[in-house]
Amino acid sequence: MSDTKLIAERFANDGGGEESPPAPGLFRRMRAEPLLPEAGAGGAPLTAVIAVMSFLAALALAAFIIIASAAGAWTSELRSALTVQIKGADAATIVSLTQAAMEVLNSTEGVVEARALSPEESAKLLEPWLGKGNVSAYLNIPAIIEVQITDDLRRDIGLLRTRLDAAAPGAVIDDHGEWHQRLATAARSGQALAFAVFVLIMGAAFAISMFAARAGLAANSEIVSLLHLVGATDDFIAGQVQRRFLVLGVRGSLTGLLGALLALGLAALALRASGGAADFLPELKLGPSLVLPLLVVPFALCLVTAATARTTVLRTLAKEL
Amino acid sequence: MIVGFENVGLAYEGQPEILADLEFTLGEGEFRFLTGPSGAGKTSLLKLIYLAHRPTRGRLTLFGEDVTSAPREALPALRRRIGVVFQEFRLLDHLTAFENVALPMKVAGVNQNQYREDVRELLNWVGLGDRINARPPTLSGGEKQRVALARALVTKPDLILADEPTGNVDPVMGEKIMKLFVELNKLGAAVIVATHDLSLISALDKPTVVLREGRLSPDGSEPQRKTARR
Repeated sequence: MSDTKLIAERFANDGGGEESPPAPGLFRRMRAEPLLPEAGAGGAPLTAVIAVMSFLAALALAAFIIIASAAGAWTSELRSALTVQIKGADAATIVSLTQAAMEVLNSTEGVVEARALSPEESAKLLEPWLGKGNVSAYLNIPAIIEVQITDDLRRDIGLLRTRLDAAAPGAVIDDHGEWHQRLATAARSGQALAFAVFVLIMGAAFAISMFAARAGLAANSEIVSLLHLVGATDDFIAGQVQRRFLVLGVRGSLTGLLGALLALGLAALALRASGGAADFLPELKLGPSLVLPLLVVPFALCLVTAATARTTVLRTLAKEL
Repeated sequence: MIVGFENVGLAYEGQPEILADLEFTLGEGEFRFLTGPSGAGKTSLLKLIYLAHRPTRGRLTLFGEDVTSAPREALPALRRRIGVVFQEFRLLDHLTAFENVALPMKVAGVNQNQYREDVRELLNWVGLGDRINARPPTLSGGEKQRVALARALVTKPDLILADEPTGNVDPVMGEKIMKLFVELNKLGAAVIVATHDLSLISALDKPTVVLREGRLSPDGSEPQRKTARR
């Protein structure tokens, strides 16, 4: 038998032609070689753009987390602290009123700790305004009592106010309510801003992926047409594009995340080195509580880019034959 | 019936009809030569059959299914039953000869273990066993044509369409390819070979239809060898 006859017998349809071959499994698709060439949708520029977006999104999310954690710490500190200020006509009156107030505070349930500042400590608080010197010799500096209280007492602060007023008339309780309110508002604004930036970046990722998928499809139109002619479904072609975008997304977003972690690490070192500034700025520590939530960024970016590319391709192909 | 044209016309957007009033049938296991002068519309007619275009009028059936208005989702399964040797080869430059031949199987989701040997065997048969990893830009026109032929056959199609399949190969390979079509046809595949090579047509005793200025000659499904030879 000639080799032509042999090959013909080998490749003659045996009547099973009406059956479609089995659909490819997800694992096999993921392992398959890409059919769309790398140059199609501008691989390197798209990876770079995704990396930048990942970097910014990670910083925005880090800001959100840091502000939330700092605001929590600050407000909880303020919630558990109050200050009692005692004024008097002379030093002796101030001392006796302070003792009376301390007795009330020490006997009140919910007061964790009450500590009267010494005259020297009180005078030191005035140094930024009055300068160094024997200020207490010339002024009747009010006594200051720092008090740590429980949440229960905070809710019932009016009772403490009444009792203190009876024992030490003129005593002023500063429960830091105004500060607490301001801090909470500032924290909420900061968090909202950080979240808005994060959402905007995801929106930009969506738009860029859509344009890139369309451009990639246009650049590979000959290949897409051939794939259709040899029996590819839209889903198969969309899967190819989606896989490509997923690879670019993983590459770009992980690069961006690493860049953001590096930047945050450097900022943490700078804050620690600056010393004083750390007292006023939120604490920045690259621990699991900050790094783990940031893993959401590459995941979200990959999801957005791959899903957008797939949807865009399916919509575009639906207009063709 | 494998292919059925009923009063089919094709016009590209805003252009006059390039194919008109086509009446043509191809039954199971039939062989047709399609010939006619350059620009007569042979390639456009094949494009209708391999579903690159839909008719702008009339009715076209493939494997008994009306494809004139069939939903897009129905087309891939029909296309997988057709093996096409394109005139311009249409190979993917970034894939190797092996990957190009395997493309229809890959697209259909067939496991590589199931088609690896088939692809190698076909490439060996067309004389490219030693160029299995070569990419099209490094292949000659004839070699590309042979890869395109192997790709058309790898799925064991019910219908083989070949557009000038011997145009770039030497006479020996051309004869070999035509013999293969004849053998595949004997084993049940329907075959349409578009060519203007009259010596090719005269070498085989097969029915021929002639296309002139977008119209098939009357009773186009009947043998037209004399007309073709003229």
